[in-house]
Amino acid sequence: MDTLTQNKILFAQDISKSFPGVQALSNVTLDVREGEIHGLVGKNGAGKSTLVRVLMGLHEPDAGTLTINGRIFHSITSSDALAAGIAYVPQHVDMMNSLTVAENILVGALPKGPLGLVNWGAVYKEAHERLSKLGLELDVHKRVEGLSVAEQTMLAIAKALFGNARLIILDEPTAALPRPDINRLFGFIRSLKDKGVAFIYISHHLEEVFEICDRVTVLRDGCLVGSYPVADLDMAKLTNSIVGEDVKEYERSSTCVPDAKALELVGLTRRGHYEDINLTVSQGEVIGISGLQGCGAEALGAGLFGLEPWGVGEVRIGEDAFTARNPHEAFAQGLALLPQDRYRFGLIGLRPVRENVTYTIIDRLMGLLGIVKVPSERKIVAEYIDNLGIVTPSQDQMVRLLSGGNQQKVVFAKLAATKPSVLVLHEPTQGIDVRAKVDIYRIIDELAAQGIAILIISSEVRELMGVCDRILVMYHGRITNEFKRGDPETTPANILRAIEGGSNNAKE
Amino acid sequence: MRRSRQDWIQFILDRFIWFIIVGVFIFFAFRANGFLTGLNMINLLMHASVLGLMVIGQAICLISGNFDLSAEGTVSLVTVIAAWMMVIPATEYAGGGPWGLSPFIVIPIILVVGAAVGWVNGFMITRLGMNNFIVTLSMQLVLRGIAFTLSQGRDISGTPTVFNWLGAGRLGSIPVQLIFTGLVAVGFHFILQNSRFGRQLYAVGGNKDAALASGFDPKKTVTLAYVLSGLLAAIAGWMLLGRLGAATIYVGQGLTLETVAASVIGGVALSGGYGSIGGAFAGVLLLSVIDNGLNLMEVDPFWVGGIRGFIILLALAIEAQKFRYKPKITRAEA
Amino acid sequence: MQKPTANPIVLALIDNLIWVLVLAALITFSVLSKSFITPYNLVNIIPKVAAIGLLVIGQSFTMITAHFDLSSESGLGVTAMVAGLLIATTQYGGLGVMAPAWLAIIAMIAVGLLIGLANGLMITRLRMNNLIVTIAMMIALRGVVYIISPGSSASFFGPVFNWLGGGTLFRFQSGAQIVSVPVSLAFVLLAFAVSHIITQYTQFGRNMYAVGASRDAAESSGIRSQRIILYVYLISGLCAALAGLLSAGRLDSATPRSGLGWIFPVQAAAIIGGISLSGGRGNMIGALGGLLLWGILDTGLSILQVNPFTIDVFRGGLLLFAVLLDALKTRYLYRTAMREALSTTSIGLADTSLGFK
Repeated sequence: MDTLTQNKILFAQDISKSFPGVQALSNVTLDVREGEIHGLVGKNGAGKSTLVRVLMGLHEPDAGTLTINGRIFHSITSSDALAAGIAYVPQHVDMMNSLTVAENILVGALPKGPLGLVNWGAVYKEAHERLSKLGLELDVHKRVEGLSVAEQTMLAIAKALFGNARLIILDEPTAALPRPDINRLFGFIRSLKDKGVAFIYISHHLEEVFEICDRVTVLRDGCLVGSYPVADLDMAKLTNSIVGEDVKEYERSSTCVPDAKALELVGLTRRGHYEDINLTVSQGEVIGISGLQGCGAEALGAGLFGLEPWGVGEVRIGEDAFTARNPHEAFAQGLALLPQDRYRFGLIGLRPVRENVTYTIIDRLMGLLGIVKVPSERKIVAEYIDNLGIVTPSQDQMVRLLSGGNQQKVVFAKLAATKPSVLVLHEPTQGIDVRAKVDIYRIIDELAAQGIAILIISSEVRELMGVCDRILVMYHGRITNEFKRGDPETTPANILRAIEGGSNNAKE
Repeated sequence: MRRSRQDWIQFILDRFIWFIIVGVFIFFAFRANGFLTGLNMINLLMHASVLGLMVIGQAICLISGNFDLSAEGTVSLVTVIAAWMMVIPATEYAGGGPWGLSPFIVIPIILVVGAAVGWVNGFMITRLGMNNFIVTLSMQLVLRGIAFTLSQGRDISGTPTVFNWLGAGRLGSIPVQLIFTGLVAVGFHFILQNSRFGRQLYAVGGNKDAALASGFDPKKTVTLAYVLSGLLAAIAGWMLLGRLGAATIYVGQGLTLETVAASVIGGVALSGGYGSIGGAFAGVLLLSVIDNGLNLMEVDPFWVGGIRGFIILLALAIEAQKFRYKPKITRAEA
Repeated sequence: MQKPTANPIVLALIDNLIWVLVLAALITFSVLSKSFITPYNLVNIIPKVAAIGLLVIGQSFTMITAHFDLSSESGLGVTAMVAGLLIATTQYGGLGVMAPAWLAIIAMIAVGLLIGLANGLMITRLRMNNLIVTIAMMIALRGVVYIISPGSSASFFGPVFNWLGGGTLFRFQSGAQIVSVPVSLAFVLLAFAVSHIITQYTQFGRNMYAVGASRDAAESSGIRSQRIILYVYLISGLCAALAGLLSAGRLDSATPRSGLGWIFPVQAAAIIGGISLSGGRGNMIGALGGLLLWGILDTGLSILQVNPFTIDVFRGGLLLFAVLLDALKTRYLYRTAMREALSTTSIGLADTSLGFK
């Protein structure tokens, strides 16, 4: 199907949107045609989610217009979007899991018999027929919770179509899916494309973008880089558009102490997550670990910290064996983790800054009878507030009232207070505005200078390049590449390709 | 540090309950005869002392994010066990056991019982993953049932004076129970605000996942909260038995909801992580003042119950609006 | 990446656990007492707990939507007492109005619906916590029963109530004995049948399950969840009234203590019968099985002449057991079905949040 001559289902023109402290979108234009699979790519924080929320009517744009099926809107509500045929399929689909596939499809309008009672035979038949029309084969008698993730995604797509959706936005549908399931999903999407359904396909898996998309739009830092037919692109051009050429990033010089081992992993394996991880990190060294979602890096971080089991193998901090099975022990043995979701795992929102900083070191601040020595506590916290540049009216301010960047600094303070030998940071600058990011890099630099080994698990390749001495890439649970700072091979494009599994294409 | 107007408003709102108590107090001082007498004040506070101990336990559990509906069962069980162990039946139909133990043996035993009940609650809730509301509700029934079975439905009266001291004794002209409860309340308030346990409690109740990632053990903290609640319930039972001098089968009934209500009135959030012992205790005082004042004004007991119930419902409705969602900022979008 | 799949045998066992338990209970009691398995006893297992059965129905409706109604036992008490006041002569505790049975029944149902309405509004409009609200109602209504009651009891409800609660439907010959099948057995079975039809074969019933499975997903699909929840509380109130009817009919009196403590076997029966605490699961046949189990326990325990005070311990213990089973079941399903979906998100989500609260 020649998509260039098909009608435009969606034309988003010059969309801008800002939030306090951050310009999320500036003059972004996007058009999607009938029967087109349109990829939407960009780093975390590039603005993809914001754009989608504007399209779904969840955010009102500051400027710009949306033309949907020929109708022009300056702002839409979520019911407008749904009525216009735009549907969103999230990464983790929201279904009624304890009910069957058939019921999920026909919810609210089950076929009835003559007495007004539900005719279950008809229910299953109708559900099956509807799915068959789409070319989808699912056991409609099965409960949704018994379906695989791919099947649940396909079901969600089907549901959207039954709701007369004409443009379906897919958000990272293939994260951690095995290849056969991806093939099935793609087959389904292609068959729908032939029927005129349009898709916006958001993904970090660039290989897949080449595989299934007709065109792709690249966003960077809230701005439109361009929309290109996929046929006109290759991986190098695409990755360059995503990471950009001309942005001045933070540069730091190495503080690595060679031959002083801070962390050593030998043959670390956890079935289903990662395999044979061998890694040595020196004191003062900053290494980055990057990969697609599900590559094993997150599980590795969580495992070392004790939030999940770390499997089998040897772990050493300095010369000592590391045996921590929960966060408390991890802190005691010298390893700390900055969680990706700082609000969920990093902070107790209702409590003051002072308390949040000292949770990890509360044992050290205890006096008689377990009473906390508040004056000592205030002193220590004041130091951290000063050193890290935490902006807060007072130590007693509820932490949830701080800005994202400052909240992150509070978490840093909390971790630094444990005087760790190894610090694992998971997406440390996610959701933080540009100015605060620089502060965070500076903090990382200072901590490394103190001899702490730092592991940064992140998908921000440019950021890693600026801050890390080495960058490791993980793919399907294994460490597949290592990039050293200063090496000519260490380019954003190469790293991104390695993340995609390009150079060691070990796809099943 | 300068205190801004914002801070002062926050200060008042946090302590709003005390302002209400003062207001109600003044109201009754004018409208109820005999309200301001020393005797009446003591009566009022005595009414609050047993409940007060239980409220402390309930508040501790609520702050950790859980309900303890079994406390009144513990009170019932403890009074029966204690009486049974200490009192040898005088007649064939009277209640009591064959041992006639000394209070000095019995008191430690009932404290252990209270703590054990709390531990069992904590175990089922944290390690077996059972719903805290239903578990403690069922435990209440089980405990009462055990108490019933032990007492065979008979009242057991005639507990030794030494034992009764906590509930019925006086230091000078002030009943011991007032002093005791007051000290316990102040003590726990202080502990929660200033000790490591207090920090753990608020952290776990505020955000269990973040508490875990900060090095705390939520399971241990919650279990300890239940143990304390059980222990306090046991002490409340001791006090109550001492005051009444006898263990009846319906002792302590209905106190559970009052403890929750008092906590909510006093600012403790049902979702956990917020509130204070002082606030919860203020809730108890408010309810007691209202009860006392209305009785002195010779209001029909039916209306007293009604007004009380209305206040409780109002407090719950307000709490529901305030804390409908545990404050969350969704994580940054990718 | 491997996904542990649910073992189909375990799943089948989970779905039919109640019948395994019923069988186990029957066997246990017939071993413990030779006089257990008699036609009379078997026929009367359910009639003895008929009122509880109606409460189980009401409870199941609310639990399917993931809500609780702990006030229904007091609803029973209030409605039974209201009927008593209307029907009984002043000599036997009534108001002396001498109302006909049909009027009393209408009054009971009206009161029951009113209670349900109050619960439903507080929970849906005022968004109050359903556990706290219904427990508060339980206590408040129990107080109301005491207040309106004339002392100890209101008795002698007349032929209609007696027939419904204790009358005989038909008799049959078994060996040398004549066994009478009570009307209440038919009443209960009919009520369960109707409920089963409603929950499995009406749009409303299926909407209940949708709301319980995922309130958000149901709302997105156009179901007005607030309305559904309000309706189930009304139904629960109605069931409390019908339970009051059966109770008053069977005992031929209403006391302030009618229904006291029954919330425990009611909850236990529903939960053990497969109506999950988390909502969206279970059916009325399982709930009937739960009722049957409780009936067997009740009959068995009284035949064994267990101390009546100890029955409370069994009541509480049974509920604890039921909740434990439910927690284990939920954990198992969670682990196998959900694990993969959650494994791609940020750290700790899958395992640390598992468990309490």
